[in-house]
Amino acid sequence: METIIETKHLGKAYNDRVTALADVNFVIRKGEFVALLGRSGSGKSTLLHILGGLDAPTSGEVWINGKSIDFSDRKALIALRRESIGFIFQSFNLIPALTARENIEYPLLFNYHDRVARRERATDLLSLVGLGDRAHHYPREMSGGEQQRVAIARALIGDPLIVLADEPTGNLDSKTRDEIFSLMRQVNQEQETTFLIVTHERELGRRADRAIELLDGRVVS
Amino acid sequence: MIFGRLFDFLKVSAHQVARKRMRVFLTALGIAIGVAAVIGTVSLGEGVRYQAVEAIKEQSDLTLIEATADIRGGAIQFITPSKIDELAAVQHVEASSAVVREAYTTKRQTYLEVVGIDPGGIEGVIRPKFLRGENLEPGSRQAVLGHDVAETLQRYEGVRFGDTIPILIRRYDDDGMPVDEEVQFTLVGVLQERDDAFDQVMLIDRRVAQDLRGDEAAFDGVLIRVDQPEEVFSVVDDVKALGLTAKGAFQQIESVNQLMDVVVLILAFFAGVSLIVGVLMIVNTMVTSVFERTREIGITMAIGASPADVVYLILAECFYIGLIGGVFGNLLGIAFTGAINTFGKPFIIAQLGDTFSTFAEGDITLITPEILAIGMVIAIALSLVSGLYPALKAAHLNPVTAIRTGV
Repeated sequence: METIIETKHLGKAYNDRVTALADVNFVIRKGEFVALLGRSGSGKSTLLHILGGLDAPTSGEVWINGKSIDFSDRKALIALRRESIGFIFQSFNLIPALTARENIEYPLLFNYHDRVARRERATDLLSLVGLGDRAHHYPREMSGGEQQRVAIARALIGDPLIVLADEPTGNLDSKTRDEIFSLMRQVNQEQETTFLIVTHERELGRRADRAIELLDGRVVS
Repeated sequence: MIFGRLFDFLKVSAHQVARKRMRVFLTALGIAIGVAAVIGTVSLGEGVRYQAVEAIKEQSDLTLIEATADIRGGAIQFITPSKIDELAAVQHVEASSAVVREAYTTKRQTYLEVVGIDPGGIEGVIRPKFLRGENLEPGSRQAVLGHDVAETLQRYEGVRFGDTIPILIRRYDDDGMPVDEEVQFTLVGVLQERDDAFDQVMLIDRRVAQDLRGDEAAFDGVLIRVDQPEEVFSVVDDVKALGLTAKGAFQQIESVNQLMDVVVLILAFFAGVSLIVGVLMIVNTMVTSVFERTREIGITMAIGASPADVVYLILAECFYIGLIGGVFGNLLGIAFTGAINTFGKPFIIAQLGDTFSTFAEGDITLITPEILAIGMVIAIALSLVSGLYPALKAAHLNPVTAIRTGV
């Protein structure tokens, strides 16, 4: 299978003393559903931010789709976020002033201006995440689970190579957590979208294709 | 492409603005009050200027101007026959006539300001209305008196219509001693009151005046009649282009304009102080707004917005504040000037006195589409300027720390 992301000796240190990541090496292939496990402070969020071009490593390399990422090239990082990455955060990550559909369209505002095509795609994605009738609802009118469904749809609208999710179920009750997890799994299987999900819940790790576990900035399994 | 982006950003920002209507409205009100103050003062200034100019136009013979000799670059530009022809050929000059200016005294020592002009010029350029009598006969020692000087001569010297006026012309003999020559002029006409300089003038035939001066090529000026009041200033410019000086009632308009330029500038400056307050309100509101939305801005950048996109999004919100401020500012300005017209006018007329009684008929403030457009532009431009600092602040947020902000 095609390699989507590869890290080579990836390291991140703050002020040359605090080591967040050290010699991280792994490969994620197309269509995989990978869990990134670790306790809080283990460096998982830092790793996710580096893979998403939001943060820069202090050593090592990240290869995405066969190309090494130049973290000093800000334009290339913006293009990477627009074209290759879909982000899902913990709850409260929608734009409160925009409706569900507008939130889904939002990432395309910055580089894709065919309004009709954009709207059709957002409507399709709303149906995909099971919110076909909620297009005109604002985030405050939706439950946490529904908001997270919208966030999943938003992450998918740019047809990303990989979706990076940072504790996407962290603020949800257990029933909703299962639903959201199942939805991501379903999208992964039906659309062959690659997922890397940061979580501290081992239970979810077991339901992924495989898990990468970080401990004090190092891959332990 | 660029318009698609602009439209998209304006749409998103419209949602953001609509979400905090009250805050945006109060902020916009700050800039609106500033705009209204500027519009009110400027329109008052323009209104007073307009009324004053109209009063001058009504009370004076605006289309009559006189071109006289001038010193340009150290050389005197005399009124020569060729200059007279050039002046006659200037566009919008309906009639022109060369004149000689003299100062005579009567035998009983009344000072007379004398203009020597062709009888045809009196008809064509001065266009007098005769209280009594008629125009001069060419080449004869006759005189037409302005209204006031005729009254003076009658009162103090008993000179009546048809009488001769004894004039003393001072000459100097070979030894340089003054010798007064007496010359008689017959009073053949008296003008109606004109309310201008011609009320004080004795008109005589130009050739007679040149003859008495002993210089047949001497001219002191050219009187010009302009065809329409609107063209006076263009004719004045042409006269100046010929190297000559122009005088006339239009100079009053020039001084009014100069005075009002200064007055309007000073008024607008003080009104502008309230605009500064409005600007600070916008800066404050937008900085608060950016701070409140730190996490939202971080997420926006994470999903693909460049720093420039963030700047445009924030500025688009400021654009709406400016737009709302401009609309309300113009409305308030119109209401403000309406109040000046209703309540302030009687007071201003009382202060300025009779000369400006024409004010009573019209409005003393003048709102033109230009003033309203300028009010709009000021509101939007200042809002955008105010938004720059908050927008740049937002664009420089680090997405990683912004996303971690728990809001």
